[in-house]
Amino acid sequence: MSIYGRRVPPLVAVEDLVKRYDARAALAGVTLAVEPGEVVALLGPNGAGKSTMLGVLATLLPFDAGRVTIAGHALPAEGGAARRALGLVPQQIALYPTLSARENLRFFARALGCTGRATTRAVDEALETAGLGARADEPVARLSGGMRRRLNLACGILHRPRVVLLDEPVVGVDPQSRERIFDAVAELARDGAAVLYSTHQMEEAERVCRRAVLLDRGRVVGEGTPATLVARLGITPTLHLHTARPLPTGWLDGIPAAEVTRTSGCEAAVGVRELAAIPAVLSAVLRAGGDVVDMTLERPSLADAFFALTGRALRDDESTSA
Amino acid sequence: MSAFGAALTKDLRLLARDRVGLVFLTLAPIVVITVAGLSLAALYGGASAPVVPLVDEDGGWVGRGVRERLASEGAIRVRQVATRDAARALVVGKSAGAALVVPSGTSDAIADGRTARLVVLSDPVRTVDVTTVRAVVQEVRHGLETAARERANDELAAARERTEAARSALEHSGADLRQQLDALTDRLDAARREAARRRTSLRAALAANAARRVAAARARLVDALTPLRGFLQELTTKRAAFDAWMADVRKQAGRFADRVPPPPEPPVVPPAVAELTRTDPETLATRIIGGDAGPPDLPPLPDVDAAIPRLPALDVPSLPTLPSAPLPGTLDVEETSVTGAPARFNTFDQNVPGFSVTFLLLGVLLGVSLGLLDERDWGTLERVRATPLSLPVLLGAKLAARFTVGIVQMVLLFVVGWLAFDVSLGPAPWALLLPTTGIVFAGTAFGLVVAGLTPSREAVLPIGSIAILTMAAVGGCWWPIDLEPDWMRRLALAFPTTWAMEAYNDLMIRRWGAGAVVGATAVLVAYGLLYLMIGLALFRRRVSR
Repeated sequence: MSIYGRRVPPLVAVEDLVKRYDARAALAGVTLAVEPGEVVALLGPNGAGKSTMLGVLATLLPFDAGRVTIAGHALPAEGGAARRALGLVPQQIALYPTLSARENLRFFARALGCTGRATTRAVDEALETAGLGARADEPVARLSGGMRRRLNLACGILHRPRVVLLDEPVVGVDPQSRERIFDAVAELARDGAAVLYSTHQMEEAERVCRRAVLLDRGRVVGEGTPATLVARLGITPTLHLHTARPLPTGWLDGIPAAEVTRTSGCEAAVGVRELAAIPAVLSAVLRAGGDVVDMTLERPSLADAFFALTGRALRDDESTSA
Repeated sequence: MSAFGAALTKDLRLLARDRVGLVFLTLAPIVVITVAGLSLAALYGGASAPVVPLVDEDGGWVGRGVRERLASEGAIRVRQVATRDAARALVVGKSAGAALVVPSGTSDAIADGRTARLVVLSDPVRTVDVTTVRAVVQEVRHGLETAARERANDELAAARERTEAARSALEHSGADLRQQLDALTDRLDAARREAARRRTSLRAALAANAARRVAAARARLVDALTPLRGFLQELTTKRAAFDAWMADVRKQAGRFADRVPPPPEPPVVPPAVAELTRTDPETLATRIIGGDAGPPDLPPLPDVDAAIPRLPALDVPSLPTLPSAPLPGTLDVEETSVTGAPARFNTFDQNVPGFSVTFLLLGVLLGVSLGLLDERDWGTLERVRATPLSLPVLLGAKLAARFTVGIVQMVLLFVVGWLAFDVSLGPAPWALLLPTTGIVFAGTAFGLVVAGLTPSREAVLPIGSIAILTMAAVGGCWWPIDLEPDWMRRLALAFPTTWAMEAYNDLMIRRWGAGAVVGATAVLVAYGLLYLMIGLALFRRRVSR
């Protein structure tokens, strides 16, 4: 189904995108869209096609079939106009190590189209956003990992792009830096930017993104909010019980909304299809004579959906160039 | 030891898997050895012979000798041309490093014992060719002079032989003459002794005969003088008597004595006759005839029966004919630079531009390629490509930066060369900017080609080094390009370094003006544009993978 029928056109629109490396399809008919003000997580195991997808959207890679528009500019024909709307924050800290933070920012501001006073203003704002005002004139090589990561983000967004492509923007940073980066991403979305956020960290995606797109083997295998994905996959919450004594067999019989998924001595895991069934489960424990020592409820997460959709097998051999 | 062994094994494995490093360890030196070996073959006699235009204005034996000797000379290839201007044009046009002219009248001058000159028209840049020609010409000159000397020596030897024979014949004749003269002397001595003996006996006979004749004469004289003496004595007596009579007369005349006429004067007796009267007849006879017979008249020399020998017919040889020609003159060599520049130049005029170009290439080529690879490794290249800044603009800016640095580098090196080594900047120093601009542009653009060809920084060093070393060596940056064999010189035209060095040589050594390097500069710019297009295509392909 075409995505172009929506009332507000997406800033990132990809339809049936195909990208091949020789005979191998890195992207095999991917369709996705990112609305203004939306942060969408791009998830997938190694080799799923995330990097290729970002490369195509950043106009760095040609593609073989499909339609791609960035801020209404079709690629590849309108690549120049698309780049003016883009802000790319690569996973690698892509900065000039011997230049200062200010010099890096000034260069990227000019490269991104800023001129005159706008450049100075954008640089100052970026330094403020990155929290680097005090170290602005030091060479990047002397900055800490977190500072570089923040500067890396700042260099990609200092021109207030309408479309932001983030690739693992918080890898290896301390919690404070991470929070600063999350705040900056949230601010971008608030300002109406469409943010595509590629990450391997499910918690990070759940924290930052409203929606997620799961790629696997070059295809979209799941899309939606984390809750929607979980619900769509039928993944239930799990109640973990630690009892004083082992529970007897069949102790949960008669409660249709729950079932024992694992038992080991005094520990048991119970899948609950409806949270309302939890009191009944606890009553059943008491009836079976197993005093509850501890209890935790594990809600299904995006990670569960991820594993459900992509499996747990290693993908190392599929990761090359994708 | 096991830990050491593990570490050693690890390092050997790392080295074995560093293919680029292994290639660099072997391929780069092999390339350099090959290039240097082929380039420097001329130093060891392995190069192809240079073409040497030869003009024989002389047309005589020297010109013929030069032609013949050069034709058999393996170190050069002679190309006969009609005129000196044609030969000069070949050297000016760089078709030859030197030309040889045998000026008109050379043979005559040599034959007349005067000094003549062979003229070498040289291109001061083509030192190797010129040196070869100098050596060959010196050999030819030496050969011609040797031949002339040998010819003179042969003539002198023949004359000496003839002289020797004549002297021998003369000595022989002299000996004969001396022998005959000795015999004659002996015979004359014998005759002289016989004559003396005869003379002695004759003298005795004559003395006896004379004594007899004197005695007889004396007797006859005494006999003859006796009456005269008697008369003279009587005369004297009678005169005294007359005088006494006269005195008596006068006395008797008294006062009339003075009227007495003087008596006639009696004849005066000559003193010699009077003497005869007073002298003893014997004494007088002795005085008149001589006391003795006196030395007899010498008898005639005895008739020597041996006739004086006639002089032998001396076998006087004909005098040897001296060589008709004078000793040959000397043959000098006069070298003239066809460019008007000094025939010998400051070696730094070659080395300063040569090594400046080498290090320029190191700077710009490695700078551009490593700079782009740095950008790729840092991720900034990809990041910038995602901006409105287009790839050509990005690359152009990078190349322009390196180009500027390269120009400054070259200008600084030339200034240092000028101040420290007194290199020539040519008649128009500003013109050095033409080839400098060209080679910096070409080198910078070639850096883009290397960046497009090399997958990593590790590959840049061997590939870039090999490319730079090859271009510098073959292009004549390290040694005069005419050291190289012909095929390599033709190959060198494919390298911008060759054109740059040619242009620098034109300006600094040949001392030509800016117009001379416009062509080379255009070629350099063309190479730069070609490299730029290739580099852009390669780099685009590499970054779009």
